[in-house]
Amino acid sequence: MSALPSPDIELVELETPTGSEWEPVFRLVLGGVADRLGLGFEELDDLQLAVERLLAEGGDQRSVKLAFELAPDHVRTRVGPLCDAPIAAALQGPPPAPGEVGLRRVLETVVDSFGVEESDGGELFVRLEKRVGPR
Amino acid sequence: MTTSAPAPGPAGGPDRELLRRYHEHGDVSAREQLVERHLPLVRSLARRYAGRGEALEDIEQVGAIGLIKAIDRYELTRDVALTTYATPNVVGEIKRHFRDRGWTIRIPRALQELNVKMSGAVERLTVRLARSPTIAELAVELDATPEQVLEAVEAGSAYSPVSLSASPGTEEDLDLMEVIGSEDEGFARTDDRTSLEPALGELPERERRILRMRFQDGLTQTQIADRVGLSQMHVSRLIRRSLESMRDTLSD
Repeated sequence: MSALPSPDIELVELETPTGSEWEPVFRLVLGGVADRLGLGFEELDDLQLAVERLLAEGGDQRSVKLAFELAPDHVRTRVGPLCDAPIAAALQGPPPAPGEVGLRRVLETVVDSFGVEESDGGELFVRLEKRVGPR
Repeated sequence: MTTSAPAPGPAGGPDRELLRRYHEHGDVSAREQLVERHLPLVRSLARRYAGRGEALEDIEQVGAIGLIKAIDRYELTRDVALTTYATPNVVGEIKRHFRDRGWTIRIPRALQELNVKMSGAVERLTVRLARSPTIAELAVELDATPEQVLEAVEAGSAYSPVSLSASPGTEEDLDLMEVIGSEDEGFARTDDRTSLEPALGELPERERRILRMRFQDGLTQTQIADRVGLSQMHVSRLIRRSLESMRDTLSD
């Protein structure tokens, strides 16, 4: 993963096999991250849901890497490599129609921003950013 | 609960008339009335299975699926009360649910108990703080460590990922409570129809409403919980199951 952009940012990385039986692993790690940042219980649930849906839609690879960058006011999560086709179709196509509840709509709702990134090796990653609300 | 199931009456009575209207004339409102009339029976049967690590609301919903199947499969030539016919269907559906959704890993009792307390703690703190509590705040409220809180939350997710709306049986098995309630025009019938719409239509009305509130109206889970009379954690579970169910439908 790329070098840290700021000394204020702490980095947690995880590589895990894909599949629903492995979901508790990243969910617990994300829970620890949320505790460290003081993220609200519902905000944690949002972020977990975002990662779950990404893996459900594009996680057919054998394993996936998750990187959590913890800043004082936000957490940035990178998930990948993900399968190109379903992710591109879901996130880079036209805006969702009214009433549509696809991956893009879910991400738009549960995180503050997201984007698709390509690694040097041409692998697809999705970046999710969630701000930490005032406490 | 002071309500009770309608008295059995094999030959005549309101049930018979409603069953006739539904089976002979396709009157869906008659089926809805039958469901409403016999929900107390479902609740009564569901309570027998409470305290096994599954929210009572979830068990009741599963039981309602059995009730709907019983109503749909009931043959007018039978000289048996609907309650008599429905009871084994409801119990069978609940048992199948526990078999399919049982704990996939062994969860220590202490964690299960902490998980049960979690929902109330989240609600109390949300009201007290006027925002979603942090893990640390929950830990203090529950006299536990943050790690125990996270493990207890995860324990609540330690079911097999089979969706509530996934039909466990044959194709003729009806999918849940989708027949209860009216069509949600604003959500399921958008002007710009999408490939997801059929999947949405497979969901029960309540789940469609919850998805609309979350992903169209932008309400938080807590706000939705207030409106539909469920806990925030239950809303969270329903959202996950609904999204997974929709995905299953689309991939079929």
